[in-house]
Amino acid sequence: MFTFIRRITRFGWHSFLREGGLNIATIFVITVTISLFTFLFASQGIVSYLIGQIEQKIDISVYLKPDVTQEDVLEAKERLNNLPEVKNVTFLSKDEVLEEFRQRHVNDPVVLESLEVVGSNPFYGSLNISATNPNEYAAILTVLNSDSFANVIQKVDYLEKKSVIDKLSEFIGTVNRVGFGLAVALGIVAVLVAFNTVRVAIYDSSKEISIMRLVGAPNKFIRGPFIIQGVINGTIAAIISCLLFLLIVQLLGPRVESITNGFDLGQWWTDNLGSTIMIQIVSGIGVGVISSLIAIRRYLKV
Amino acid sequence: MINFENISKVYPPQSIALKDVSFEVDNGEFVSIVGKSGAGKTTLIKLLLREEDPTEGRIFFNDLEVSQLRCTELPYYRQKIGAIFQDYRLLNHKTVYENVAYAMEVMGATDYEIRRDVPKVLDIVGLTDKFCNFPREISGGEKQRTAIARALAIRPEVIVADEPTGNLDPYHSKEIIDLLVKINQMGTMVILSTHDKEVINSLKRRVITLENGELVRDEQKGRFIL
Repeated sequence: MFTFIRRITRFGWHSFLREGGLNIATIFVITVTISLFTFLFASQGIVSYLIGQIEQKIDISVYLKPDVTQEDVLEAKERLNNLPEVKNVTFLSKDEVLEEFRQRHVNDPVVLESLEVVGSNPFYGSLNISATNPNEYAAILTVLNSDSFANVIQKVDYLEKKSVIDKLSEFIGTVNRVGFGLAVALGIVAVLVAFNTVRVAIYDSSKEISIMRLVGAPNKFIRGPFIIQGVINGTIAAIISCLLFLLIVQLLGPRVESITNGFDLGQWWTDNLGSTIMIQIVSGIGVGVISSLIAIRRYLKV
Repeated sequence: MINFENISKVYPPQSIALKDVSFEVDNGEFVSIVGKSGAGKTTLIKLLLREEDPTEGRIFFNDLEVSQLRCTELPYYRQKIGAIFQDYRLLNHKTVYENVAYAMEVMGATDYEIRRDVPKVLDIVGLTDKFCNFPREISGGEKQRTAIARALAIRPEVIVADEPTGNLDPYHSKEIIDLLVKINQMGTMVILSTHDKEVINSLKRRVITLENGELVRDEQKGRFIL
């Protein structure tokens, strides 16, 4: 067995070295395929980041009754925090809301003057609630509308935001579905192109395969070197796309960061190094070997 | 021993390549099969190598019925036959040495046996100084000698040569035929298919003549008569 593996490895390696042109074409096509998979994987990271950013901006503002005590507010905050659907609750007192308003309109004397006209603090204290998942807002709303919060809550500012939130949730879902569909379609096209390139390469060797059969080579001896060649081509393609992606990270990282408002491509690459390299090697060797196995089948029929 | 029993081969729809051909070849014999182009010589060899199956009849290689061999048995059957062709059929991406060694490697010879035997057969065919050349770097005669070396290396029970001198000049043709005679003298059965009159007449061995797919003559010390 060891001798067999050693021999087919040597045959495969020699074929790789001596059949330059076709191997270059095969490596190029597999590199494109792997790079596409890597790009789709990275896009998934960017999309997840953007979705996270948008989700962070969604919250429910609960305006508190003017006469509510600090203890009641803290108790309500605690109860909300204990809900599994709730990710975070922030309390802003009346004074903090007023101060924030003043800061926001510091260059707008008319607005500040109008506050003076009113005479007292017109704002409500508020609790800003963000959910673990945008779909959970309806459940949180149900809890807020229950009697247990009636003595604390003046008004829930959600229905105004609801339509925006619904549209956003729908958009996120659509982006995910379309992205996935696109990834699958592009993946299939890339694999088919790679498969056809390998098929042409093996067709070129069909005469040699018939000679091997005539000198009495068993099928495993004919198939083996092509598999080894597939592994070599796939590995080289994986290394090239890895380097290519590294180059893209270096060149486009700052641009991606500014476009996406903070997505650090380099950091993402470091965090996902293992899975990215795994995707590249597995898809490279997988495309190389499986294409070879399928393409060679017809030439092994006696 | 090889035995062709009432072999017929018809290619669809109605092209008859061989018609009821029967003959035997004993171990150690040198048999030439002659005939014009299209007489059925190559078909006969294809059937023996089980590249194709006969439409009717049976072929025996010792006790094996060739057309009954399973796909998995076929490589081991072919390892008993050293095949030589007009177009050499060498592996172009392998050197002369590797072409010869390949035949031994696939039949499971050890590295020691390969290192011992390949230089010997290359010496027999006079290619010692060409062992690291690729087929594209050597002449037609040298290619055919490489093919003979490859056939010899597996110590076959029979050497089948289909028009081995078809692409060679008279000088190289004689070289190749002399080699086949030498191999036969070492005890290996040789089946030579040719339409080279000079070759057949100089051999003075058994000649089987085919005409339009039929065996018309089988003479022990035959001549080229068509």
